[in-house]
Amino acid sequence: MGNDTLEKPGKKVVLLGNAAIARGAMEAGVGLVAAYPGTPSSEVPIVLSEIAKECGFYFEYSTNEKVAFETAAGAAWSGVRALTAMKHFGLNVASDSVSPVAYAGVKGGFVIMVADDPYGWSSAQSEQDTRYFARMAKIPILEPSDPQECLDLTKLAFELSEEFEIPFMLRTTTKVSHAIGTVTLGNIKKPKTTGKFVKDRSRYYNIRPNLQTLHTKINQKLKNIEKKYGLKLNKIHKGNGKIGIITSGVSYKYTLEICRLLGIKIPIAKISLSYPTPESCIKRFIKDKKEVLILEELEPILENEVMAIAKDINPKLVIHGKDMLPTVGEYTLEGLMPIFEKVFRKKFNIDFEKHRKHADVSIKEMPLRKPVFCPGCPHRSTFYAVKEVYGKNAVYAGDIGCYVLGIFEPFEMQDFVVSMGASLGVSHGISKVSNQEIVAFIGDSTFFHAGLPALANLQYNDGNIPLVVIMDNSYTAMTGHQPNPGTGITGMGEKRPKIIIEDVVRALGAEVKIVNAFNYQQLVSVIKEMKEKKGFRVIISRGECRLITKRKLSSTGSTFTKFMIDQNLCKKCGICTNNFACPAIQEIRKKKGDQPVYYINPELCWGCSVCMQICPHKAIKPIVKGNKTVPGGAD
Amino acid sequence: MFDLMLTGVGGEGVLTAQSIIAKAAQMDGYFISGLQLHGLAQRGGTIPAFIRFTKKNEAISPTVMISNADLIMAFEPLEAVRATQYANKKKTTFIINNWPHMPIYANILDIPYPEMKEIEKRVLPFAKKVMIFDTHKLALYTFGIPILGNTMLIGAAIGTGNLPIREKTMKKAISETVRHGLEMNMNAFEMGLKLGKK
Repeated sequence: MGNDTLEKPGKKVVLLGNAAIARGAMEAGVGLVAAYPGTPSSEVPIVLSEIAKECGFYFEYSTNEKVAFETAAGAAWSGVRALTAMKHFGLNVASDSVSPVAYAGVKGGFVIMVADDPYGWSSAQSEQDTRYFARMAKIPILEPSDPQECLDLTKLAFELSEEFEIPFMLRTTTKVSHAIGTVTLGNIKKPKTTGKFVKDRSRYYNIRPNLQTLHTKINQKLKNIEKKYGLKLNKIHKGNGKIGIITSGVSYKYTLEICRLLGIKIPIAKISLSYPTPESCIKRFIKDKKEVLILEELEPILENEVMAIAKDINPKLVIHGKDMLPTVGEYTLEGLMPIFEKVFRKKFNIDFEKHRKHADVSIKEMPLRKPVFCPGCPHRSTFYAVKEVYGKNAVYAGDIGCYVLGIFEPFEMQDFVVSMGASLGVSHGISKVSNQEIVAFIGDSTFFHAGLPALANLQYNDGNIPLVVIMDNSYTAMTGHQPNPGTGITGMGEKRPKIIIEDVVRALGAEVKIVNAFNYQQLVSVIKEMKEKKGFRVIISRGECRLITKRKLSSTGSTFTKFMIDQNLCKKCGICTNNFACPAIQEIRKKKGDQPVYYINPELCWGCSVCMQICPHKAIKPIVKGNKTVPGGAD
Repeated sequence: MFDLMLTGVGGEGVLTAQSIIAKAAQMDGYFISGLQLHGLAQRGGTIPAFIRFTKKNEAISPTVMISNADLIMAFEPLEAVRATQYANKKKTTFIINNWPHMPIYANILDIPYPEMKEIEKRVLPFAKKVMIFDTHKLALYTFGIPILGNTMLIGAAIGTGNLPIREKTMKKAISETVRHGLEMNMNAFEMGLKLGKK
């Protein structure tokens, strides 16, 4: 839904929340955007990257979120409106720079878009709540609840950031970023892309005693923001009764829908400016209430603040929130409904639990469908070969990228996954206290993101046990094939000389072997050779992401050489399906216990040829013209 | 209000179908809300997507409530079974493409992929109506490209009268969204319409 992002002002279009944020930035005249992709925030930079040239602002994919944050801060310090976007973990990477920039303040509007991921839809490794982070860094937060607000609040965030000379955070969750909705567009502002850094010791001289002056200043800014906008941006909807709801983000939408379904009109405080603490709005809202229900996903942040405020304003107020609702996972209509039924003493006519249980019975005994490596994925052959050489017992250090899918059967070769680059740091630690064999996997983009410092450490502090395997598919594939320094293209689509990974690793002092990820013999022999050695050694298993190869091929009108299984030679050992697990290879059995037939679905075969190389019976062959195969499906 | 759920396999065009349908509904004067859920290397996993149409600009949640879908379009048959929690006997129509996309876990964990009859049997207790179409097979035989079955299934849904969008609007939405092979997509859509009207 990105191609409607550039539509004319006044037009109504359907946009993804993230695309609406991109449009909001354009309507604010953003001059510089820097980001490292991370779902659920990825579409913000994807959309902006596609239109940057046309709209005349600068865009880059930085090597990590910290660099992206700093790049945007530099522009904002020079008076240019700047945006950076990241997932919640991205903010952890950027964190070192966040507080100092907040203290210094900004000249051009600076918006930090951060997407939280309750429930972990994006395969995130924790459910951290960014609202805590913003409180620590003293950065105000705007929280949209739907795509229209994504656009409006992004635009507003730039304005407020400039008005108060402070970075603003736009905080979403997956169900805001990935919501779609009708959005009315406004005018696109011509971007201002040039500025000047003006030396200013009162602002950038951030050591004591000026540090305390800056700290005092930022506290004052937060107070001013709450004073001027606390009641303007946080809206109180009037309703019947003495029980009210305080809510923000997507929970607000759930609230409205449930109220409609139950036929109740209750007072609601909709919090959009959720930090600085929405004191004036909460005071006004709770003073005549008997009970309030606070609906916020994850941590009880608003709830604790309401409790503190109620002590003075309305000490008898009954406050519900995490006494009834979980801090784990995300809220849903179905989960909230019983809470509403209880608090507002109304009955809804559907028993969701019963219905869900009933539906669960119908799914019983049906095959699972977990995400898998694509057909022809270079990671599959790399994992397969490493397992062939190292077996089941080696420690397999995991990292962040498509290869995280190696966590599932049949590979199970991501024994732990911590954060970007952590495969190297953690395996180094294990190697210092244990003599187990360790293989650490890391992708090309992750290598540039956070792998470099850990590799330098591995070398300097003599990490001689782990074998490092860099799985280089040339793209940041998992989030949508964004370019990285090893790709040779910039975020604006311009060609740049690649940074050659092996040169970098050699410069760090490693013994490096480069293998073709689609050449199984070579993979196995190099892994065997490196296994026997000691010292700082790195294998680069190189194979372009097959999706990219596929796109390149189809743009020229050609296709892959497909492969087929010769039924006369197939011994039905099941290695190609059960151990190699290529989705193009299917085992068909009418019912359990029947003799299976193995065949390659030519629609799904992307011609990597590795199945042919690993088949012990030489039953897999390229399809030569004139050799008919069954065209797909189970027939 | 009309609650539509789309489901299928990651990387097989569910999200494109969502954006085409949402765009068309928007052009037909509806207000739209909805959701797409992906992440974890999109490929090969279950992808549910919601589109909710309303006449007024009502503030509604992006998700369809359990047991509340009016129409469930399953671009992959097994995924229809996984969507049953969103369906109910009183109101939900299922429109299912009968082309299976084998999950590798059928092999690895040795759970056989169910027959179409079995799928229908499991969906029926949650459906007012189940309509099964050969769209992807037909797309393969006609165009050599099975994924055009998605456009065909959209046509079929409109043809049966279960997707409240005008044919003309849908064509416009397709022409404004599809980047490659527009003519084939239009033909696939027309074929779907005919299938649906039969």
